[in-house]
Amino acid sequence: MADKDEEICFRKETISKLLTSFFKEDKTKLSSEAALLMAEMLKIFVQEAAIRSQKQAESEDCDKVDIEHFEKILPQLLLDF
Amino acid sequence: MSAAGSRPQRLKAAVHFTTGRICQKMGEDHRKEFSRQTVAAIAETAFRQCDIFAKDLEAFARHAKRSMVSAEDVKLVARRSNALSVYIQNKSEELAQEQKKKNAAKKKSKDAEESRE
Repeated sequence: MADKDEEICFRKETISKLLTSFFKEDKTKLSSEAALLMAEMLKIFVQEAAIRSQKQAESEDCDKVDIEHFEKILPQLLLDF
Repeated sequence: MSAAGSRPQRLKAAVHFTTGRICQKMGEDHRKEFSRQTVAAIAETAFRQCDIFAKDLEAFARHAKRSMVSAEDVKLVARRSNALSVYIQNKSEELAQEQKKKNAAKKKSKDAEESRE
């Protein structure tokens, strides 16, 4: 009975502030479209991290996802992004 | 002024919040919960990844002699994975379509307004 339409996502404003805070130059700005797309990117990043960690936990027969499962999948995750 | 913590802290908290929600839903869907430590680690990693994304985006924009980061720069950031690349490309087209519709709707109402005068 999950409400599929209500997909959890990052707020455009949060992403915008976050990314601009990391820019080296003051003059660099982020377009509205780019902010929305980056919100998607980040959502996918988190989803991938989560699902790969879950699969790792599953392959080790654990019923809870613990930090070592995340640590094991982290290198490949970073390489893939 | 509320002492809700410094800017970066608030942004980190916002990332952590949404990360937590994504992990919770996934935990429910697959019946395998995430430990709090794991959620925190995923959130921290995502936060740090944004730094890398931002620097790349800025470099791509600068390379194209722009000061505004555009969708094209985002597509470059997504280049490493084919599936991701395609997904972002499609999202970008989706957004462009929506923007077109909005502009058409705006123009329609503007024309209607002008014809009334």
